[in-house]
Amino acid sequence: MNSIRLFAWLTLLFPLAGCIAIALVGRRLPARGAGWLGTGALALSFASAIGALLALLDQAHDERQIVAVAWDYAHSAGIDAQLSLLVDPLSVFMILVVSGVSMLIHLYSISYIASDAGYVRFFAYLNFFVFSMLLLVLAGNFIVLIIGWAFVGAASYMLISFWYRRGTATRAGIKAFVINVLGDVGLVLGTLFIFKHVGTLDFLGTFEAARTEFAPGDADLTAGLILVLVGAFAKSAQIPLHTWLPDAMEGPTPVSALIHAATMVTAGVYLIARMHPLFELAPAAADVGAIIGCLTLLVAGTIAIAVTDLKRVIAYSTMSQIGYMIMAVSAGAYVAGMFHLMTHAFFKALLFMAAGSVIAAMAGQQNLDRMGGFRKTMPFTFGCMVIGGLALAGIPPFSGFFSKDEILLLIGDRGGWYWILYVAGYVGAFLTGIYTFRMIFRAFFGEPVPEARELEGGHLHHAEVPTNPATGEVEDTDVGFPGPEHHIAEREPTMKIAMGLLALLAIGGGVLQIPRVTHVIDHFLEPTFHDSALYERHPSDGLITFGLLLGAAVGLAGIAVAYLIWVRRPQIAVAARARLAPLHKLFVNKWYFDELIDTLVVRPARWFGAWAQQTFERVFVNGMLVGGTSGVVRAGSSAVRAAQTGFLRYYALLIVAGLVVLTFYFLMNA
Amino acid sequence: MDVGWFLAASALIFTLGAAGVLTRRSPLVILLCVELMLNAANLSLIAFARMHGNHDGQIFALIVMVVAACEVTVGLGVIVAMQRRRLPIDVDEMQELRG
Amino acid sequence: MTLHLSVVLFLPLAFGVLGLLAPPRMARWIALLGSALVLAYAVTLLTDFDSSAPGLQYVTDETWIGELGISYKLGIDGLNLVLLALTAILWFFCTLWATHREWDRPRLFYLHFMLAETAVLGALLAQDLALFVVFFDLMLVPFFFLTGQWGEGRRVQATMKLVIYTLVGSLLMLTAAIATGVLAAEGPAELSFAFSDLAQRPLAESSQNWIFLFFAAAFLVKMPAFPLHGWMPDGYRCMPLPVLAVFSGVLSKVAAYGFLKICLPLFPDASLNFQTLLLLIALASILYGSAMAFTTTETRLILGYSSVAQLGFITLGIFALNDQGAQGALLQAFNHGLVVAPAFFIVALLAARAGGSQDLRDMGGIGMRAPVLAAMFLIVAFATLAMPGSANFVAEFYILLGVFTEKVAIAIVASTGVVLAAVYGLRLYIGAVHNRTGPRVESREISLREGLVLVPLVLLILAIALYPQFALERSEQSVTAVISPPPAVAVATPAGWTPYAPLEETP
Repeated sequence: MNSIRLFAWLTLLFPLAGCIAIALVGRRLPARGAGWLGTGALALSFASAIGALLALLDQAHDERQIVAVAWDYAHSAGIDAQLSLLVDPLSVFMILVVSGVSMLIHLYSISYIASDAGYVRFFAYLNFFVFSMLLLVLAGNFIVLIIGWAFVGAASYMLISFWYRRGTATRAGIKAFVINVLGDVGLVLGTLFIFKHVGTLDFLGTFEAARTEFAPGDADLTAGLILVLVGAFAKSAQIPLHTWLPDAMEGPTPVSALIHAATMVTAGVYLIARMHPLFELAPAAADVGAIIGCLTLLVAGTIAIAVTDLKRVIAYSTMSQIGYMIMAVSAGAYVAGMFHLMTHAFFKALLFMAAGSVIAAMAGQQNLDRMGGFRKTMPFTFGCMVIGGLALAGIPPFSGFFSKDEILLLIGDRGGWYWILYVAGYVGAFLTGIYTFRMIFRAFFGEPVPEARELEGGHLHHAEVPTNPATGEVEDTDVGFPGPEHHIAEREPTMKIAMGLLALLAIGGGVLQIPRVTHVIDHFLEPTFHDSALYERHPSDGLITFGLLLGAAVGLAGIAVAYLIWVRRPQIAVAARARLAPLHKLFVNKWYFDELIDTLVVRPARWFGAWAQQTFERVFVNGMLVGGTSGVVRAGSSAVRAAQTGFLRYYALLIVAGLVVLTFYFLMNA
Repeated sequence: MDVGWFLAASALIFTLGAAGVLTRRSPLVILLCVELMLNAANLSLIAFARMHGNHDGQIFALIVMVVAACEVTVGLGVIVAMQRRRLPIDVDEMQELRG
Repeated sequence: MTLHLSVVLFLPLAFGVLGLLAPPRMARWIALLGSALVLAYAVTLLTDFDSSAPGLQYVTDETWIGELGISYKLGIDGLNLVLLALTAILWFFCTLWATHREWDRPRLFYLHFMLAETAVLGALLAQDLALFVVFFDLMLVPFFFLTGQWGEGRRVQATMKLVIYTLVGSLLMLTAAIATGVLAAEGPAELSFAFSDLAQRPLAESSQNWIFLFFAAAFLVKMPAFPLHGWMPDGYRCMPLPVLAVFSGVLSKVAAYGFLKICLPLFPDASLNFQTLLLLIALASILYGSAMAFTTTETRLILGYSSVAQLGFITLGIFALNDQGAQGALLQAFNHGLVVAPAFFIVALLAARAGGSQDLRDMGGIGMRAPVLAAMFLIVAFATLAMPGSANFVAEFYILLGVFTEKVAIAIVASTGVVLAAVYGLRLYIGAVHNRTGPRVESREISLREGLVLVPLVLLILAIALYPQFALERSEQSVTAVISPPPAVAVATPAGWTPYAPLEETP
């Protein structure tokens, strides 16, 4: 028991210690020292997570939920906020994924941003981010959860705005932060709704009390959980709070890999899984989650087909995949959701890393229209991209195949209107095949672009004057672009190792949970979900077989369509774009969500601020209140001034008159 | 003897003094009238002291006399100084207090 | 251990007077020593305070004006302890900050600065309503001179506004205080202004109502709350920055403290009657302050309006009228003071790097060569916007929870203030530190001397963020007592004694 607590704390503290150490001494270390320090801290953290796993496996099956309390954080007036961790299979699963994938991404970053002026700062932020994410998943009560939740948002903000001289980066940063704070507020309000009834912030205590305090479908609980979902949607980039995620691609590519693919955006999935005893009591809220997840996976899939920015294609695919997970955990397919979370972390990190390598070869250019023909010159990157793409598209036997399929299987098994979600899931899978391979075909196939030719000649392309690809603005050479040197996977061993390991995981990760064959994750997570009514489900063999076949077919069909359109007959793409112009416009403009939010929220807020500033403050506060008060004072003083004649006798008379009045008053009263 | 008579006398003298202060323009006379008012108050104080049979009022009266002496000294000094500098000796000429 | 509160109360003034007698060059060091001693004393009190014991500790009780029932009664309970510590901390660091600059007529400046500390400490320590009023009004005097004499810009106009506003409030409060004492003393009881006596003598509800409104007006002006904040923009523009830091950090908290110490226990019925009104004022302050803070470009006013919003949160917590709300309000009072002072210091540092301009539009890119400054600023900005993990968040959580159990709708609307805070907090940070370097900006790291002021304050923010329980556990007992006061004990009247008995003739 105590060793589990110790390992949990160590997992959490190594990244924090790494962050502080890098911040304090990073500049004095030799070149790349900060990167190795950060990676080392993460390796220790991962080792501790494994230690926690082993110690947890030593426990009896029903004693695998352990609370570790450090101290009373804010424990008064009936609010029991302690600094506590909850170590159970779910959180251990998450810390393994988070620390493991993060470690590889650190390893990749050591070379990838080696020539950036903000090298030390980058690793301090990155370690802080991992600490926050671990805090989030290890949280033992709502307060610690919210703290981790917000820290993750803050770390994400700092990393998105990492190149803070770019206006686009700072704007993307504040957008991400504000939407995340909106999510935090949702989470806080949701917590209040729940706390009002259960009277405790502790997770286990809440779940225990919820069973007696809430009737199934309780209105307060449903309202609270929908607010919790707002938090989950904001962090996991679900509709309509997703607009920050594509903009967040302003950050360096490892950041996109780490935060906006493998870890942070999965927090919402984790949250719903963690709160499953509550969601099962409020099925209406769970249905909201499932529907939004389903909508997101479709909308994001359509946008991903239309956008031309390499990183944004992957970002929208992330949104879409998170949609699957949200749909899964909301519909009661917890293990499938967590399984997909894990495999997605592997192949999405891999895809981003490969994309980073391509972008480096393009000297920072991210536009797919300008890419092509890198297949020969970057074979390793190409291989990784294809492995990641196959896993993402759900082609057997890659990991994504099993995890995505299990989600749809369990949703289909619930029957009723969940069939709509089931069908939508397969439509999404088809779209996934198309956009993934559109990206791969356009970047790696076709005529080699000048950059690819230059690389063929053994030289990595460098722009003479670095510019911001989004605006064309000339970059600040101090901070604000990836530095004068670029690094591609083919030439950097650390990048190669990180990508190679992830590629292996992306290929083989699925063996943990093959229907009817292996049930590793199922068994491991059982203690967390033992009280769930939706947990023990056994779809029929027919459904399993049908699902597996359909999944593979749909994925392959998507790839085939992509091949047809973008490799065999490029004119189809042009023709389709012309014929479906309104649809294409809708997708390219991201379904106008940015404009919608701008009109509904941002502009009214700006308008109110301007009105308050220019009209209200001047006219009412300064004019009427300040002016009124000073006017009264001025009028009063002029009246009093009139009485000051300066004649001594006049004053004396006033005194006497006052005396006489007072005397009369007392005489009358006596 | 009833204390009322003393009070009546005191009130009469006080009124005389107050009227003088309010109507006369010469600071010298005003000073004299203020003295009258003070002495009227003294009279009341001593009459009450007699009535209650203790010395509080008498002590108070003594203090008033000391203060009055000081006041007269300062006041006369001011008037002499004004005379020396050939300023008009008329209270209505002094209006610096006007707001 | 016996600790005499009179010592800590008059220590700053004594050192201010001492500085007046010393050579002008020495005045700053004498003032600094005085504030350091107060800080040491406050730390001793913090550690020595018995947080499990209810009621007042370290009581000093002397008759001051016996006939009027006014006593010189000082004491410490959970309510004023943390604010006392805040005052001592901020005054020390702001005095240290003030020493960075050469002031015109330094001896007078430091005398006023120290007098202000005594006045604030007096208002916090006073356990007698009349004494409280005296010190509350005394607070205005030094700030009148500090703004009028050493201020910047249109300082005379600003001072006049400040004085008129707060004087009106003070007069209302004086009237209300006298009425409280007199009306409470009806019947057999002797006139007394001691809080402990007044709490035992509840007033009729109708009297409570108007007296409460008078007090509320005075406190809301001082905070300032919307729409009584008219003096704030000019006042904030003109005050010298170290003075502004203590003014914004401490004085507004005295007003919040006044609500907790006076309005809630003495006028419980009126507090309940006007709960919704005060909650709405608080809500308006939050929204309006936030909206103004994210439109204005003057850095001082961004902080000023953010204070309006934060004080709105504090008022919200107080008028939740429950334990959680009040605990949160008190903690937020402490946190806001601890955050706003370094924020003003940072504004000064930024202005020094932006060619003297305090306008956000002239800044930008200051973080370039100043990573330490940027990091400190980031921590302060995050604490200002009540990022979870800061003690400000804990306080806002308590406040929202408190309001939530009373009025759900108000809590939900108030929570949008948290989002708006994120906007204006980051806007300030990004506008000053990030983006391209402004034309007149010269980025450089903070010096050791500046670090001595900034770093300890930031470390304190981090410390309280790690362990907010430190403040919460000290205030819990007193807050509970304020929210649910013990039932009033009827004054025992001796048999056969009537108040208007004829005095007997002495032979």
